[in-house]
Amino acid sequence: MISFINVLVNGLLLGGIYAITAMGLSLQYGVARILNIAHGEFIMVGAFLTFVLHTKLGINPLFGLAVAGPVLFVVGYLIQRILFKTLKDRTPTPAAFEGSSMLMAFGILFVVQSIAIFIWGTNVQGYSYLAYSVYLGDIRFSVNRLVILVISVLICLLFYLFLTRTRTGKAIRAASQDPDAAGLMGVNINRMLALCFAFGAMMAGFAGMLISMVFPIYTTMGMQYTIIAIIVVVLGGLGSIPGSMIGGFLLGIFSAIVSAKDPGLTMAAYYLLFLVLLLVKPSGIFGR
Amino acid sequence: MKLLMLEVKDLNVAYGNVQVLWDVSLNVAEGEIVVLLGANGAGKTTLLNAITGLVRPLGGNVSFLGRDITGLPPNEIVEHGIAYLPEGGRLFPDMSVQENLEMGSYLKNNWKIRKNRLEYVYNVFPRLKERRKQLAKTLSGGERQMLAMGRCLMSNPKMGFFDELSYGLAPKLVKEAFAMLKSLRDLGLTIFLIEQNANQSLEIADRAYVLENGRIVNSGTANELLHSDHIRKAYLGL
Repeated sequence: MISFINVLVNGLLLGGIYAITAMGLSLQYGVARILNIAHGEFIMVGAFLTFVLHTKLGINPLFGLAVAGPVLFVVGYLIQRILFKTLKDRTPTPAAFEGSSMLMAFGILFVVQSIAIFIWGTNVQGYSYLAYSVYLGDIRFSVNRLVILVISVLICLLFYLFLTRTRTGKAIRAASQDPDAAGLMGVNINRMLALCFAFGAMMAGFAGMLISMVFPIYTTMGMQYTIIAIIVVVLGGLGSIPGSMIGGFLLGIFSAIVSAKDPGLTMAAYYLLFLVLLLVKPSGIFGR
Repeated sequence: MKLLMLEVKDLNVAYGNVQVLWDVSLNVAEGEIVVLLGANGAGKTTLLNAITGLVRPLGGNVSFLGRDITGLPPNEIVEHGIAYLPEGGRLFPDMSVQENLEMGSYLKNNWKIRKNRLEYVYNVFPRLKERRKQLAKTLSGGERQMLAMGRCLMSNPKMGFFDELSYGLAPKLVKEAFAMLKSLRDLGLTIFLIEQNANQSLEIADRAYVLENGRIVNSGTANELLHSDHIRKAYLGL
């Protein structure tokens, strides 16, 4: 029983990271129609920014939230405005844009990764922060994972409130459901697309910072997280932000259960789940 | 002489190499209901899309209250006081009734007074108030029509453009929809609508234009058109 609770808690902790990662991808795909294959690279940059600030300048990793998030927000905004917007203007149909934007994201992936390798090399890096355990009854928690869970739940909550309570948040949701109709309401669609891509990159920055606190980081770590994000997005339903949040936690728990049996099987189990989902319920749990 | 609200001059529109509209000219004065009749594929929706900024015209111009609005993007067109109800309503399906209405007040100045506008719209359509927390996709056909109209009113527009109000509605609901339209005019809205349903739309309209194969082929008061041989044969089936 205790070991089961432990697995569940571990799953929730991991799930928080997955949820944030997937929310970012979901925003970029659901609204901006960009399947951002380079999402994991933004996560990697967020992780390394936090790592460098902590190990070279002694800045608290939690402060990395205030650096990695905003930096990647600006980078994401510029990338959408300069690269994807230009591409979109030159692409005749939305369907063609989905294809060509994915290729462009591939390009961004390799550029970002190569530059990162040039700067930081290919070694596995890491640091230790709040890496001790506390006991609640008989259950052992590592403190940094608890901190991560709290932060990720907070980020999810705040972002959900932003989407449901504010004028810009509502405009983002409207634009994801019907961009033309949103334009008729006075929403500047181009601005929304850039904003959504930027928020997606910001989420990647947050996720990278959280990942760097508990996992080893390396410059080629991105692809793994991109794939996890895609699985979660499909699990929760394409374009559904609450779906991505809940899907993230579900996949986290699933992964904890599998890796309690044998950690080596985790990735295989992910793909198996992904395939089953595509066959049985391709629209996802909360899909339209 | 009434104030001229909308003036379209020699508008030409093409999708790629296919020209859809040729030299379309028309005008709408303040407080009028003007209907544009035409069969499927005549280019009616294209005309509305060109006026409201969803499609850029090849040539010609559109002016609203004396200001040139040709080729402006939709979000800037709205700022001039134009509301467009596209075919099928184009509601935001996964947002609540109230959120759909709020989106109608998206422009900064309207957003500040959205509570007042909501009250106003709920007064016009009390049914929407009962359903305000429901998702738009769960509404009935008639309620969707109300919501789409209500959303138009949220921006406090001077003029409303309505695309195929009768489309996909049961005959009883079509009657209701046109009745609603008439009451919107009584509330001060100038109305331009495009329709295949000539019978009912001519009943509420002041004037009408007829669009065939991308050209205006006939125009006049609703009464004149109701009695013209061409209209009786082609659109009224008499």
